[in-house]
Amino acid sequence: MPVPTTANSPSPPPSSQPPGGSARGAAVGSSATPGPYATPVPHLRPPRHRAHPRARRWWTVQALLTLSGPMLLTALALAALSLLFFPSALGWLGPLLLGVLVLPALAYLLAMPALRIRVHAWELGEHTVYAAGGWYWQRHRITPLARVQTVDTVRGPLQRRFGLATVVVTTASTAGDVRIAGLALADAEELAQRIGAAAGLETGDAA
Amino acid sequence: MSGGTSTAAPVRSAAPETGQPWRSTHGRTVLAYTTWLAGPLASVLAATVLKGGRVAPGTWIALGAAAVGCVVATAFGLARWATTRYRTTDSAFELRSGVFTRRRRSIPLGRIRSVDVTANPAHRLLGLAVLRVAAAGHAGSGGSDEGGVRLEALPRAEAVRLRAQLLGGNGAVGGGRAGSPGSSGQAGGAAGAAAEYAPLLAGHDLRRLRYAPLTFWVVGGVLAAAGSAWRALDGMGVNPLHTAAAHWIARQLGAGTPWLTVPAAVAVLLAAGCAGAVALGLENWWGLRVEWTDEGALSVRRGLLTTRSVTVAAGRLHGAVLHEPLLQRAAGAASVRAVAGGLGNRDENRKRSPLLPAADRTEAERVRDGVLRGGPHTGADAGPPGVARLTGHPRIALRRRVVRGLVCAVAPVAAALALLGALLHLPVLLHCAWAYVLVAVPAVWLLARDAYRSLGHALHGRHLLLRSGTFSRDLVALRRESVLSWSFSSTPLSRRAGTVSVTAAVAGGEDGYRLPDMAARDAVPFAHTAAPGILGDFLDHGRGEG
Repeated sequence: MPVPTTANSPSPPPSSQPPGGSARGAAVGSSATPGPYATPVPHLRPPRHRAHPRARRWWTVQALLTLSGPMLLTALALAALSLLFFPSALGWLGPLLLGVLVLPALAYLLAMPALRIRVHAWELGEHTVYAAGGWYWQRHRITPLARVQTVDTVRGPLQRRFGLATVVVTTASTAGDVRIAGLALADAEELAQRIGAAAGLETGDAA
Repeated sequence: MSGGTSTAAPVRSAAPETGQPWRSTHGRTVLAYTTWLAGPLASVLAATVLKGGRVAPGTWIALGAAAVGCVVATAFGLARWATTRYRTTDSAFELRSGVFTRRRRSIPLGRIRSVDVTANPAHRLLGLAVLRVAAAGHAGSGGSDEGGVRLEALPRAEAVRLRAQLLGGNGAVGGGRAGSPGSSGQAGGAAGAAAEYAPLLAGHDLRRLRYAPLTFWVVGGVLAAAGSAWRALDGMGVNPLHTAAAHWIARQLGAGTPWLTVPAAVAVLLAAGCAGAVALGLENWWGLRVEWTDEGALSVRRGLLTTRSVTVAAGRLHGAVLHEPLLQRAAGAASVRAVAGGLGNRDENRKRSPLLPAADRTEAERVRDGVLRGGPHTGADAGPPGVARLTGHPRIALRRRVVRGLVCAVAPVAAALALLGALLHLPVLLHCAWAYVLVAVPAVWLLARDAYRSLGHALHGRHLLLRSGTFSRDLVALRRESVLSWSFSSTPLSRRAGTVSVTAAVAGGEDGYRLPDMAARDAVPFAHTAAPGILGDFLDHGRGEG
């Protein structure tokens, strides 16, 4: 798995290099044309640089803190209460808790970080910045550097623990804003600086 | 106060740079604050009448509090009036204001996006208007009014003159400085030279009101109005259940036969809703004028009691939306709104951007085309955009809509009814379940088919067209050079179906305009040809990962 160190190298690697593992988030336009009859139409290739591997642990902890943890705790508490006071109810409460709380919580905990680490990626082109993100809903967004208004590096308390940062690029339209999450701090700062320089801005750090 | 002269008096003409003297807003502005008393006074009066002339001591206290509030507001307004000064120099609009913190703002004329002139009934009585200047750069999509400036309030003529002056420095025509009569005379000749161009896009027409009640809000609006009336009565200390009218209604409902009284009640509800919708349509759209100004800006004036006038510089106009909600579409009606930057945050934008109420579809299309064609300074290359044929979306989009409807609307309700019926041994619920399925499945199918038929996109001249939606179908026309960024979103399910949703971001309007379920292989070529220069860095032209 290539570590995204390219933020430090000013010139990106030549385009012949395959974009990391094969199990990437699908590039737009390429996934639906499996047949041999498909005429060559231009499609978007996936961005070259992926999120930092540590980001997977960050997303796991995030899932535990926000959704999975509370759901599992609720299930545990309800099961304990039922065991203590209404042992007879466990027959139907158990499967209900399993189906409604435990399994969704575990699925989210396992699937979200695994999918995110495959999808999240970014690349800085000559005139544009390209970012892919999401896990179930996946989004690829391309914004010209000329339209960039601000570039910030944001680090939440959790991200700081993992030495990660998010680069937030805003434009005159909320639908044009780009967030690149799960970068190593140094890479994020470097990227923010490069975007700012390319966009002709004074780099603003919100860190 | 500075007397009743009709123009703002020059104050302190210490102008170091080349520019006009500083001017102040009009002193009569302060009088507008007394309208703060109108609401409390009216409610006290109503309460006294309803209670037969007795005034509770609580109401006196409330009235006193309102009076104090009014005095404070007036004092604040007086201080603000005394400290606010504005002027226009050759290059900028400058404003000084503030009682404690003095701030001075200077907005370059080239950065002014739009200028509104609004007057509520109090302002109109006093012959005043509020001028709001929105500038590029600050507010963006952030919401607050930070990027803009409000001048409260100017004499109406002065507001109109200032608006012409501010927008004149923005467009191609430079000579707007001397004031409105001169500038309109000069530019009139220029407009006459451009053939095939009608400055007036839409005027006042009462016949459009017949489409006003065609919205589901007719029912919801009545319920909401009833709710707020109840709260108001309750606040005055009147229990609505104990009034004579309520007793009378209860007696009628109790005595009559239900198959007469219930339809009668529904009819009354609908009639009230229709009356409300028509009244709202009158208030919002009285005296409508949508026109291109000589300076090349789009100007919209409307309103019966509160008049509002929005002027959008041509450079900030990114497109137009033809809006056809389900009921209006059935009646062959459509409304038009502008896609423009600098109209404030999303809520303000929704209030300011409408150009035409529900009207005949042909008229709506004509207005939309007039907006898209551009003002007096656009060349003749911009053809009429209405004739474009939209490319439909792949058939799988229909199946996705049907499945979505079945899974989201039919299955949960039917399953819940059936489960409850089985658990509680209530055969009624089981019958309800199959009856619901019988009714809901065709409805879902019809709606899904309609939603599928709505989907479409096209490129036409300088614009790209996106259409989607069934309950509220929008045909969005965006200027191709206004597209700021492209997004492609997909889910595992949509990827299996081979579709992708494309979002075009623009700096204004709703910010992003989404086109759902486009064929994945068409999406990127469409986006790339529609707005070249965005995707170029990341395109793969070969078969790629074949």
